[in-house]
Amino acid sequence: MEEKEGLKEQTLRVRPIKRGAEKKYRDYPTVLDKSTEAHEFWEPIVHQGLWDIKGHKIVKGPWGGGSVEDAKKRPPREFMVIDRASFALYSHSYGLVSPFFRGLLEGKLMGTKCPECGTVYCPPRAHCWNPECRVADCYDNWMNLPLTGIIHTFTVQCLAAAPFEHMLPFSMGYVQVDGADTTLPTLLHMRPREIFIGKKVKFEFVPEEKRKGDLMDVYAVPAILDEKAPEWACLQKDAEQMKVLEDSIKATQEFIKKRYGIDNSPEERGW
Amino acid sequence: MNRRVAICGGGIFRPDLWHGENAEEGVAIAYKGLLKQCPNLRADDIDGLVMSYFSDHLNQQLCMGWIIQDYLGLHAKPGYRVESGGATSLDALINAYYLIQSGFYDVILIPGWEYMCEVDVASTNEMIASAADTDWDFPVGGYYNAYYASLEVRHMQLYGETCEDLGRIAVKNHNNSTHIPWSQWLSQHGPEPITLEDYWKSRMVSWPYRVLNNAVMSEGACCILMAAEEKVKKFTDTPMWITGVGIGTDSMRPGDRTANFVYEGFKDEAAIYPDFVKSIKTPYPEMANFASLHIAAKRAYAQAGITNPMKEVDLMELFTPYDGVELCLYEDTGLCGRGEGKNVVREGTAEYGGECPVNLSGGLTATGHPVGATSLYYTTFLHWQLTGKVKDFCGPDGLQVDDAKRAVITGHGGTGCQGAVVVYEGD
Repeated sequence: MEEKEGLKEQTLRVRPIKRGAEKKYRDYPTVLDKSTEAHEFWEPIVHQGLWDIKGHKIVKGPWGGGSVEDAKKRPPREFMVIDRASFALYSHSYGLVSPFFRGLLEGKLMGTKCPECGTVYCPPRAHCWNPECRVADCYDNWMNLPLTGIIHTFTVQCLAAAPFEHMLPFSMGYVQVDGADTTLPTLLHMRPREIFIGKKVKFEFVPEEKRKGDLMDVYAVPAILDEKAPEWACLQKDAEQMKVLEDSIKATQEFIKKRYGIDNSPEERGW
Repeated sequence: MNRRVAICGGGIFRPDLWHGENAEEGVAIAYKGLLKQCPNLRADDIDGLVMSYFSDHLNQQLCMGWIIQDYLGLHAKPGYRVESGGATSLDALINAYYLIQSGFYDVILIPGWEYMCEVDVASTNEMIASAADTDWDFPVGGYYNAYYASLEVRHMQLYGETCEDLGRIAVKNHNNSTHIPWSQWLSQHGPEPITLEDYWKSRMVSWPYRVLNNAVMSEGACCILMAAEEKVKKFTDTPMWITGVGIGTDSMRPGDRTANFVYEGFKDEAAIYPDFVKSIKTPYPEMANFASLHIAAKRAYAQAGITNPMKEVDLMELFTPYDGVELCLYEDTGLCGRGEGKNVVREGTAEYGGECPVNLSGGLTATGHPVGATSLYYTTFLHWQLTGKVKDFCGPDGLQVDDAKRAVITGHGGTGCQGAVVVYEGD
């Protein structure tokens, strides 16, 4: 392991714990499929990371109460700042709406329908939230929904949280799947010039071997090829805004190429 | 029991991008500022504490409230934490109000703080975004800026405001912020005013939002003292009274608001939904407006006897992490009708000198947004406004509203999942 000046990297080597046969308890859940189970992979990482001090720095800066001016007038003070790591693996149940996520693995979009008021939920709800229906059970009332829908609203992102940064620039939106009454957060694989509220889209899935059972498995593409945004569309009706946005998108693509070595240009990824 | 409750004073540890002092030291500095304002306050006077902070994972510390209470030497007192995302600080204050008004306690201290810069900005955004539904909203972009941007795009499409309107709000708030001597914008960028041209140059974050439209990441703290009317005199001659309080909530996922049965009764608001877009199951508030704030405002105004806020409120501090929220809240707090927010911007009604100035403090996008302290800062600012003391605290350039008698503040969590409205009045 690489040695750093000052503090040494932890050299602890951890082998994964080999777990034996599932413990059998009466009435306890049984794991039916753990082909992608991650704990064995993750467990050594936790030993490398959790609460481990990776380094420190001494930082000199303004301090104390009062106004900005007061703070800047005082001689600066030195503080010791540690870098402390933390990561954990969460085993989280999707609950009674698990069929939706298993459906994603199979390339299906599913919704639930309230047997009382008939509202179709996608995202699905296991119980109806219409107060009139008194928490009606929807969890056995699944519908296969068509892989088409309408953009309810959208944005074009030039910044994102850490796990999504390498995908920039991209668009996300809320899409009303045809037949559903609620709207589904969806990645929009299309150029900003084409995106507008009310646009018809088709859902597509990432290749089967890459599906993980979350909303990143699915994305929307235009249902109509080369469709022009209508003149009332709030993004495109202002040509100057559209140009500014396209410049920002280009700058973002260059940044991502520099930082991650990933080419997210439309020529490369096709949207 | 139904007695009056007042804000007696607020001590501030200024918001900034980074502080060397840690959270408990920052709160202690704010508490010291409060003790200076209320020199008669003794530890014995405080009946209990309500701790206001949003995050555990930004600082790798659970139960930080216990650290704060012991650091201030107040650990014999009853105390607990209130947390509700962005609405945390105003909900903490409202909790203290309920406790005092109901007669359980007479005097409550509210320490509020947030330290948001221990983790890099992209990861901090990720941790904040885990206040969104992590099964449904988080996996697609993982970023509040994006959720709020898409809400704003919907409002923009329905009601026709432009990017320039959002720019005008940004310019107004940043320039207001330069009049606040403890502002984060002032600390980072100095006192020069900005123009629309600067706005057009600022970096795109998530269309239509640019850097200048978004709340800043802050570290900072604020301590507020609240008391029942019988006890107020000991601490201050210039209290600010709470005359109306409302809380509202909405769906966790904004995408579900197209079939939002609990707001079906809002027929008047739904009627303004334009018919050129596909109609949906429940057209109010859908993804364009903030029903939680609208219902909270109705509740607070009913208590305070407000029927026309534009005429009856002298100024507002709206909780606006994104500038489109300010535009929507003009509508949801009743300064104008649904869809008319753009007119408030264009007519300058919310500027200093306008009929109802909004965010004279500079607000979350400029002056600072350490979540647990945020609404306590702006409550303290309104206390100065309603007692005519802005210039005492902010210097001769302070934006004092002449003869201000009544003010409104809002709190706002998630994507409008939680909303709070409080009405304040001078003595």
